[in-house]
Amino acid sequence: MYDFIRGPMVWISIAIFFGGILWQVFRFLTLSQAIEEPKLKRPAGLVAEVPPAGVGGFLHALKLSIFKTSPGMIIVTSVFHLCLVMVPLFLLGHNILIERAIGFSLFSFSERTSDVLTVIFLFCGLFFLYRRLFLPRVRIITSGYDFLMLLLATAPFITGLLAYHQLFDYKTLMVLHILAGEAMLICAPFTKFVHMVYFFAVRFSVKGEWALGSGNRNW
Amino acid sequence: MFKKNTAGVDTDLIKKRLDSRKAKMKLSLAACAHCTLCAESCFLFNARDNDPTYMPSYKFINSIGVLYKKKGMVDRAALQDIRDVVWDRCVLCTRCYCPFGIDIPEMIAFARTICREQGVFPDFEKEQKHAG
Ligand code: SF4
Ligand code: SF4
Repeated sequence: MYDFIRGPMVWISIAIFFGGILWQVFRFLTLSQAIEEPKLKRPAGLVAEVPPAGVGGFLHALKLSIFKTSPGMIIVTSVFHLCLVMVPLFLLGHNILIERAIGFSLFSFSERTSDVLTVIFLFCGLFFLYRRLFLPRVRIITSGYDFLMLLLATAPFITGLLAYHQLFDYKTLMVLHILAGEAMLICAPFTKFVHMVYFFAVRFSVKGEWALGSGNRNW
Repeated sequence: MFKKNTAGVDTDLIKKRLDSRKAKMKLSLAACAHCTLCAESCFLFNARDNDPTYMPSYKFINSIGVLYKKKGMVDRAALQDIRDVVWDRCVLCTRCYCPFGIDIPEMIAFARTICREQGVFPDFEKEQKHAG
């Protein structure tokens, strides 16, 4: 059993994860269609607003974005999501396993860095939990499912942290850690975590104020 | 077998409507992270002292979200609750912004379509008499 969950099951989870993402991207493409560029003309005498260049432009854009209304949330959520992706990807332990499996691996953070980032990540998770529990606007649309998803996202980190520091039974925690990681990979494309796909799909393909590309689709 | 009281509601028609736009609507409901970042983009939310029931995501979850969750098996009272959300709390100005590109106004408009089709909509004449 142990051999299965740390062997084939890992590959199965990764395959489901990427397969699911591709499927969701495909779904987005079938639900959206290319639209024609509207041919609008600027009225004579109305000058275009030119945002300041460089860092000034970035700050200017921030002020116009939801960063202005929810700066705390934007900072915390950015850190949370960056850690969520970077820590497992650049973890020394993971990379040693990957190296053994396929003979090559990514660069790794020092163990101390990963340790600190994991703790930061968990604090961000606590911030989300606090919002879900105590902010009326968040609580009003929160159900048990949201707490479950928060647990699903943080469980691999909690178990990983405890295992790394050899608190409690190492072997049990390792099994839980692997299962939690696999559960997250398998669920990601099919639960509300699919927002990770749509964040990019929409930004890159739909034209808009905050688009990251010159998309020409809409849905 | 327990049968829900849906008298006065054509649940088959609701189901047909729901199915006609199922893919996009269900996907939008699923992709919503329940993050509330859309709140301030609605001027009504701001104008009503940040009353969470004016938040765009609250409005689509409690209208079209309910209809999909119950697969159209709703009674008149439920439709009337939805009516109060989609007409009284939203003017369909389409200014709400979701970082994931969820088309909130379309969802609210779709809930209106379904309510209207079932004969549940605000009585503007009565309201005007009240006001006048
Ligand atoms: S609609 Fe968008 S911004 Fe609003 S709560 Fe859902 S995911 Fe967040
Ligand atoms: S369309 Fe409705 S929910 Fe969106 S900003 Fe306008 S009033 Fe608010």
